[in-house]
Amino acid sequence: MANMSKPGAIIPKAAAPLRTLTAVMAVMCFLAVLAVGAMLLINRAVEQWASGLASEVTVQLPQLSTRDMDKDLASLTQILSGIEGVKGVTVLDRKEGEKLVAPWIGENGLDALPIPRLIRVVVDDKRPPDFAAMEKAMEEAVPTARLDTHRRWEAELRRMASTLTLLSSLILGLISASAIAMVIFAARAVLEANRNVVEVLHIAGADDNFIASQINRRFMSTGLWAGVIGLVGGVLTFFGLGHWGVAENNGVASAARGLFYLPQEGDWRALAWFLLVPLAATAIALVTSRITLKRMLGEVR
Amino acid sequence: MTRNESGIEVLLQLDAVGLRYGNGPEVLRDVSFTLAPGQFAFLTGASGAGKTSLLRLLFLALKPTRGRLQMFGQDVVSLPRKSLPGLRRKVGVVFQDFRLLDHLSTFDNVALPLRIQGQAPEKYASDVRALLDWVGLGDKLDALPPVLSGGEKQRAAIARAVISKPQIILADEPTGNVDPSLARRLLHLFAELNRQGTTVLIATHDESLLRQMKAPVLHLENGMLKQV
Repeated sequence: MANMSKPGAIIPKAAAPLRTLTAVMAVMCFLAVLAVGAMLLINRAVEQWASGLASEVTVQLPQLSTRDMDKDLASLTQILSGIEGVKGVTVLDRKEGEKLVAPWIGENGLDALPIPRLIRVVVDDKRPPDFAAMEKAMEEAVPTARLDTHRRWEAELRRMASTLTLLSSLILGLISASAIAMVIFAARAVLEANRNVVEVLHIAGADDNFIASQINRRFMSTGLWAGVIGLVGGVLTFFGLGHWGVAENNGVASAARGLFYLPQEGDWRALAWFLLVPLAATAIALVTSRITLKRMLGEVR
Repeated sequence: MTRNESGIEVLLQLDAVGLRYGNGPEVLRDVSFTLAPGQFAFLTGASGAGKTSLLRLLFLALKPTRGRLQMFGQDVVSLPRKSLPGLRRKVGVVFQDFRLLDHLSTFDNVALPLRIQGQAPEKYASDVRALLDWVGLGDKLDALPPVLSGGEKQRAAIARAVISKPQIILADEPTGNVDPSLARRLLHLFAELNRQGTTVLIATHDESLLRQMKAPVLHLENGMLKQV
């Protein structure tokens, strides 16, 4: 007999249509996944660029008629090789220096220019040398030598990454706020539409928790579904970016590629951030609807 | 059971109760009466006299704006909101328009108060079926309210009001939407419940109903009570 089976829903699905909310929240979750992904990719790309920068420094030696270039290069090589944390010292010849400036001023007449000579110093990025001491030692022997640690570039990259991370967080905050507002509207609408049912429940001795939980469950599954749809859509987008973005060899596409095809140590932890989106969507739907419903029910005696 | 100042057992007691909606005029003025456990009483009066408002006070949907209302030994006026569901479970309510939930089967409608109390279906199923048999709806367990006749709906509504064995049943024009012969049968149903110990208060403006049963009549006129 039908009445022996599970009892019918007190607030039926048809009386609380949440399809529109599911659709809107799915779009919001998709955008949230994009924001989280952008944050991860930018930080990953910056990490990659910065680690390249951190493992190498350059010493510049300007060509001056007052100094003996070969002697200076030799003494610098000797000094640098003796410093702890330096893994290799290579003096670039004049031709390589010319190659660096050729794109800007052309190849003709380069011979006449006093192009500085460069020394590439490979350092141990785990245990880098004391750059201040290195600079001091060089200055004592060759006052005209200049050390370029690329620190300025690295600092700027990191500043950019943290600005973009802040921006992504702001976007995530706005998405969450909009989702909360949507859930509040929907919860109010459902309660309004079921006013007569709520009245019968009240008269029969139901407390606010009982009534709220009848509606609450629907909101929870709405949040979860929207989160899963947004997550799948967002991850597919990044997958596509990594896959079809191959030709354009920009850092973000290659970082996206790396994230999914060549996950490095720690990347799985990064991917777990994506899972936070459906969890947050479910929590927002559940908690916001519960608070809204309880507040509205509390207004009735 | 609670006793009043004169030592008489009372289920509910109203002392100079007044009620107004917002800033409007008082719809109930100085209403005082008591109902003892196991009592049967009618509440009459022309429409607009305040019958429904008085019942709404008694099933705790409204709070008196003045006076004292005691139910089951508790002062309802000062009671915090969270204590109301517990009191409401001791009150069964029957409406003229039935107020059945159209999307639930007759069985589920009647079982609703027990579900609210947290009982499991396997625990209440036989009670609900027995009660529906008793009101003559044993073959309509799975029917949805829209396909029931007016009389069937009202019997289902009465079954829902009594399934959790309330101490008092409040009925607002329970025979208003049914034919006279069915009205008589419904009245017998209330009388039978009363014989089993439930206090019954029926609000009606149907004079013929009053003649069929000897019971005290509370008559409301312009919000004032006159005991007949």
